[in-house]
Amino acid sequence: MMLGWLFNLDQKRRKLLEQAPEGPVKEFLRTDFPDRGLPIDEVPLLAMDFETTGLDARTDHLLSVGHVALQNGRVLLGSAHHQIIHSNREMADENISIHRITHDQVANGMSLGKAVESILGELTGKVLLAHHAKVEISFLQQACKRLYGIAPVLPAIDTMQIARKRLERRQQPFKANELRLFNLRKQYGLPAYQAHNALMDAIATGELFLAQLAHGNYRRSPPLKNFLLNP
Amino acid sequence: MEIELQEIRDFIAAIPPLDRLPEDVLNAVTQALSIQYVRRGADVSADADNVSMLHILRQGAIAMYSGEDNLIGMLGEGDICTSFCAADVMPDFYVKATEDTLLYSIPCDELSRLVGDDESVLHFIRHSAAQRLKQAVARMQEQSSSSLLHTYAGDICHTPLITATPNNSIRECAVLMSEKGVSSLVILKENEPVGLLTDRDIRKRCVALGLDVDTRVEEIMTRDIISLSASDSLFDALLVMTRNQVHHLPVFNDEGEITGVITTTDIMRQEGLSAVHLTSTIRKAESLDALVEASKMLPRIQLQLVNMGADLHHLGYAITAISGAITRRLIEMAEEKLGPPPVPYAWIAAGSQARREQTSHSDQDNGIIISNKMQPGDDTWFESLARFVNDGLNACGFIYCPGDVMASNPKWRQTAATWQTYFDQWIEEPEPMALMLSSIFFDLRVIHGKEKLLKKIRRNILQKTPKNQLFLAHMTRNALSHRPPLGFFRDFVLVHDGQHDDTLDLKHSGLVPIIDMARIYALAEGLKEISTEDRLRAAAGTPSLSKGGSANLLDAFEFISNLRLEHQAAQIEAGESPDNFMSPKQLSKLEREHLKDAFKVVQTMQATLKMRYQTGRI
Repeated sequence: MMLGWLFNLDQKRRKLLEQAPEGPVKEFLRTDFPDRGLPIDEVPLLAMDFETTGLDARTDHLLSVGHVALQNGRVLLGSAHHQIIHSNREMADENISIHRITHDQVANGMSLGKAVESILGELTGKVLLAHHAKVEISFLQQACKRLYGIAPVLPAIDTMQIARKRLERRQQPFKANELRLFNLRKQYGLPAYQAHNALMDAIATGELFLAQLAHGNYRRSPPLKNFLLNP
Repeated sequence: MEIELQEIRDFIAAIPPLDRLPEDVLNAVTQALSIQYVRRGADVSADADNVSMLHILRQGAIAMYSGEDNLIGMLGEGDICTSFCAADVMPDFYVKATEDTLLYSIPCDELSRLVGDDESVLHFIRHSAAQRLKQAVARMQEQSSSSLLHTYAGDICHTPLITATPNNSIRECAVLMSEKGVSSLVILKENEPVGLLTDRDIRKRCVALGLDVDTRVEEIMTRDIISLSASDSLFDALLVMTRNQVHHLPVFNDEGEITGVITTTDIMRQEGLSAVHLTSTIRKAESLDALVEASKMLPRIQLQLVNMGADLHHLGYAITAISGAITRRLIEMAEEKLGPPPVPYAWIAAGSQARREQTSHSDQDNGIIISNKMQPGDDTWFESLARFVNDGLNACGFIYCPGDVMASNPKWRQTAATWQTYFDQWIEEPEPMALMLSSIFFDLRVIHGKEKLLKKIRRNILQKTPKNQLFLAHMTRNALSHRPPLGFFRDFVLVHDGQHDDTLDLKHSGLVPIIDMARIYALAEGLKEISTEDRLRAAAGTPSLSKGGSANLLDAFEFISNLRLEHQAAQIEAGESPDNFMSPKQLSKLEREHLKDAFKVVQTMQATLKMRYQTGRI
C-alpha cells in the first residue's frame, strides 16, 4: 500500500516519459494527469467503449472505438466520436498516405495506428471512464506496446468496480449479472438504449457514472482519488 | 453527427415542435446536446456556465415552481422545459426533479441559431406552455370572422339622433318618425333621456287601444330604458336584445350622452340572424307543437353563432336565453292548464343551464323549490307541472336527464326547508358517492318563480362550504376523477369504447375538470358566481387560486370549448348530431400542440388542488 501511494500514477507517468520513444505515447505522457485531489465534478473525463473480437488483448482484435467527453457533470455529445478499425491494415499507414485512399474508405475503417494515436490525443489530460475498464485499458496498452514498444499508464475509473464496491459494502449477496451495464442502468432509471455500438455504450457508461455520483449523496464533490481504479 | 447517435436524434425528432425540423438541423441539434442526471428532489439548474438551457426530458419527471410551493407546471418523459429560455424568467422561478431524471440539454441561444427562421419553433423556445396557449387563444379570436364581435355599437348607430320631448303628441312623434324614416325616438326632458318611443309602442299602446293620437307621448313611451355603451360589441347588443325581448337599444358614449339607437335591423344588416326572433317566436307559441317547431331552429342558430365567431360565453348566453324562454313558456302553458300554484315556488335549473354554458344538445337538469307553506296534497299540482315541463323540454330537444335530476323526480321537488337539509348533509357529512351525484346542485339558477327561495339557501351554502375541509376534499377527489387525456410521452390518450374509437372526449376530459375545479374554488372561497369563467375570475388571487393559475385555466377553458364548438358546428353542418368526441386528426399539428398545452394546464392545476386538499388521505 505504502509503495502504491508513493509510486502513484503521476510518478509512474514521469518515469515512463523518460523511457518512451518520440511518438504518440510520449506526447500523451507529457501532459500532467488530472490532480488526484481535484473534485470529481471538475475532472475532465473520457467515457470509452471498445468492441473487440474477444477479451484477451494479446490474441483478440479491436473492432471499433466509441468515446465521449464528460465535463462538469455533463456528457457532451458534441465530443462524441466513433471509429471502426481495420486491424489488418495496421502496417499500412504509409500506403494510406501514398495511395490517397478515398474519404469513404477512411470513414469505413482506420488503421489501428491511426486510431490509437487519435485515442491517445483525446485522452491527454483526461481520465478514462469505462464499464469493466480492464478491457479498454488492456487493449489500449497492448496496442501501444505493439505499435510503439511501450505501454502508458492510464488513470481510469471503472463504473463496474464502483457498483461492485457499493454492493459489497451493503454486504448483500449479488449475482455477477447485476453488474452488467444494462442492469445497472435499469436500477438508476436510465433509458434502455436499443443500439449497441461502441459510442452508445460509451454514452451509456458516462450516464451511469453521473447517476452513481448523484446517488452517492455527497455533500460536496469528492476528490478524484476516491474513484480511481487501482492500477 | 456520428451516425451512431441516431437513437438520441430519433428521440428528439419525435417531439413537437422539433419534429418540424429538417434532418440536418436535427443532427446539429443532437450534436449540441449535453446529458445530465438529476437526482429526485434536486434542483434542475437554469444554466451551465451562465448559459440558459432548454431541457428535454429523456427519462423521469420535473416540477416547476414560482416561489415557495406554488407549483406552476409538471413535465414528464418527452416533454421540453423551455422555461429558462423565456425572455423574462420570473426571479423566484425554480425547477426540481420529482423523479430521478435524465436531461438532454441545449443552450437556448444555440438552439435558436440552429433552427434559423422556423418561426413556430423559435416561438416555442421563447415561451412557456401557458404563454403559448394564451397567444393561440388570441389568434383564434382574431381569426374569428364575425363582424358582430368586432363592430362596436358606437360605430353603427344612427346619427343624427332623432329626439322629441315628453310634451309632444303621439301624432307629432309619428310624423317625425315617418319623415326621418326611423322606427324609434329618444324622448328628452331638459336634455336628459327619459324614455324611448318605438313603432311597437304606438301600435300596441295607442292604435290598438284606441287612444287619442293627441295624447302626450310620455303616456305611452317606454320608461325603463335598457341601453348599451358605445364600446359594447354588436354581439353584446344581440345578447341584450335576446334576453330582454327588445328591438331598440339606445347607445351612450363615455361622457354619458346618448348618441343613437341600435335596432335589430342594424344587426340583421350586419349578419343574418334569427336568435332574437326565435325567442319572440317561443314567447308567442300557442301549443307544444309550435314550441317544438321553434326549438328545431336551435342547432341552426348554434351553427350560425359559431360561424360568426361566437365563443362559449356568447353562445352559452344565447342558447341559455332560448332554453330559458322555452322553459318559461312551458310553465306558463302548464299554469294555464292547472290553474295558479297553491303556494309560491321557484323552478330551478342545475348544471350547464345554470352556468349559462348550455349548447343546443344539452340534456335537462332541473328541480323545484317549494315554499315551506306547502300543505299536504299540494304536491299533486307540482307533480303535474313537473311532468308537463320535463316532457315538453324533452320534446324540444333537451332530453331527459339520464341521472333523473329532474323536477318530476319527487326527490328534487321539495320545500325550501328540505332542500336546505339536503345541502347541510352534503356539506357537513360528505359521502363521496352522494357528492358525485349532487355536485351539479352547487350550480343553480332560478328560471321562473320566486328568486328569494333560492337566495336564502345559497347564502347558507356559501357560509358553510369554506369551513368544511372534508367536504372540499371529497369534492376535490371527485373532481380528479376526470383527467386530461395526456400520456406520459405528451401524447393523447384516445377513447377506445367501440363507439368513438381514436377520439378525444373534449367535454369529460377537458371541460369537466375545469368546471369542477372552478366550482371548488367558488365553494372554498364562498363566491356566489355560477358560470365557470365568472368563478375563475372571481377566485383569482384568493388563497384557493393564484392569478396566474386563473388566467391559465381561463385560456385553457376558452381554447377547449372553442374547439368543441367548432367540432359541433362541423357536425351540424354535415347533418350529424353534435357530440364531444373529436379525432386529433381533425386538428392541425399546431392546434394539437395547443390542445396539449391546455390539457397540461389542467393537469397542473389538478395536481395543485390535490396537494391542497391531500385527497390521498381521505
